[in-house]
Amino acid sequence: MEYVNPEGLRLDGRRPMEMRQIRAEIGVVSRADGSASFEMGNTKVIAAVYGPREVQNRSQQINDQALVRCEYSMANFSTGDRRRKNKGDRRSTEISLVIRQTMEACILTHLMPRSQIDIFVQVLQADGGTRSACINAATLALADAGIPMRDLVTSCSAGYLNSTPLLDLNYLEDSAGGPDVTVGILPKLDKVTLLQMDAKLPIDTFETVMQLAVEGCKAVESYIREILLENTKKLEIRRGA
Amino acid sequence: MVGLSIGEKNFIKGGIAQDMRNDGRKRLTYRPIYVETGVIPQANGSARIKLGPTDVIAGVKAELGKPSQAHPDQGKIYIHVDCSPTAEPSFEGRGGEELSAELTAALEGCLLGGKSGAGAGIDPSSLSIKEGKVCWDLYIDCLVISSGGNLLDALGAAIKAALSNTGIPRVQVREAASSDEQADVDVSDEEFLQFDTSGIPVIVTLIKVGRHYIVDATSEEESLMNSAVSISVNRQGLVCGLTKRGGIGLDPSVILDMISVAKHVSEQLINKLDSEIEAAEKAHEDEP
Repeated sequence: MEYVNPEGLRLDGRRPMEMRQIRAEIGVVSRADGSASFEMGNTKVIAAVYGPREVQNRSQQINDQALVRCEYSMANFSTGDRRRKNKGDRRSTEISLVIRQTMEACILTHLMPRSQIDIFVQVLQADGGTRSACINAATLALADAGIPMRDLVTSCSAGYLNSTPLLDLNYLEDSAGGPDVTVGILPKLDKVTLLQMDAKLPIDTFETVMQLAVEGCKAVESYIREILLENTKKLEIRRGA
Repeated sequence: MVGLSIGEKNFIKGGIAQDMRNDGRKRLTYRPIYVETGVIPQANGSARIKLGPTDVIAGVKAELGKPSQAHPDQGKIYIHVDCSPTAEPSFEGRGGEELSAELTAALEGCLLGGKSGAGAGIDPSSLSIKEGKVCWDLYIDCLVISSGGNLLDALGAAIKAALSNTGIPRVQVREAASSDEQADVDVSDEEFLQFDTSGIPVIVTLIKVGRHYIVDATSEEESLMNSAVSISVNRQGLVCGLTKRGGIGLDPSVILDMISVAKHVSEQLINKLDSEIEAAEKAHEDEP
């Protein structure tokens, strides 16, 4: 199948190095301590953060740092064909773990010993790149909750199809069987915190694909900062009024 | 769980007794309803309802299926509610399942009618394509994103709005060669049929606190309830379903009184909801 046509356009009309439209909103779940929604094209996720609060299960308490927990769930209507999935299947457990580890790396857990931070991500629509969208939403939600972090983590995926590196794969491109590189970075510290790839890729191509994904992460970061700034300004106005 | 002190509890109870609740509402006033339709492009129909901090999404998916043996001339409708842990940390893992099951059962009772399909909000025979061969299976999936009390009414409203937004593709049946062969169908991707949603009831939950009952309770008020009765009423003012949940027993005469109050409240709610759904549909169509 042709994923990039001779004019250099992809199935959804994007250019190879073009991201889908991203949109974010802070404070979508009013009862949570922090929450955000994040959209990348047709992928839409909501993240809610509860905490830092008392550890619910005493045996899990860590005496010198905070306990970070994460649960990823997909809505029944999120995918193209309806599937009933039980909670805690392998895929969602794996993604929960990935998100937890990525977020734990940037939260200053040592400042909140004997406490617990819960991150819940809910996929409303899945169209490829849910992993990245979840991490981006979780970052915003953590920032909204005022949890101290080293840096914002942002994530983006890239792939390689028809000998062209492609940024931000959608579901069709993701299921094409080509390599899918998901990268999460701490943009200010310039560090990679998450790197996942399936399928194989020659090393020199990998470098360009990975570089592309990192560029994507940076674009997401500047957008997230804009949203956070806007939100802070709104808070400031409300406080002044 | 809501933790309230004795003082706070008395304050809420006192307010209800004086017909002036914490947020300034009267006992029988709903919070403003916010409706958005077409929120899930992958579904045949969807809607999001916000009632104060309560936030739910309903998505409708239609799939071709085989009618059941007992009712070969009817389609099937399934309702399923999921409580996302974003709403409440205690819904994590299997924690939300009990509430999900309770809400699903209540919604089925209020909207789907009896086993024969009689009295259902949506006529299941309208989902039939070819008797005994093919029919539409309607999957109504609801997701609770944020819970701020009165989930059942919000879910009922979301299902009503999602069904108004639903388009079922028109289907042509090609005559199969022999009768026992799999029916051959053409699903159109251009022509869509809309449901008649005027018969779908709304759900009004009355919560009894002290000697009075209130509608659209917040989670603080719900924690004080003696008992809750959910009544689904359609446009004609007919009671389509009734569920009593939680709390201590009720005097039968009180239930009758509650039904008449719910009937009265439902009129306003249906009108409000219908105009909101219409406005949301319009806004959705105007979008490029």
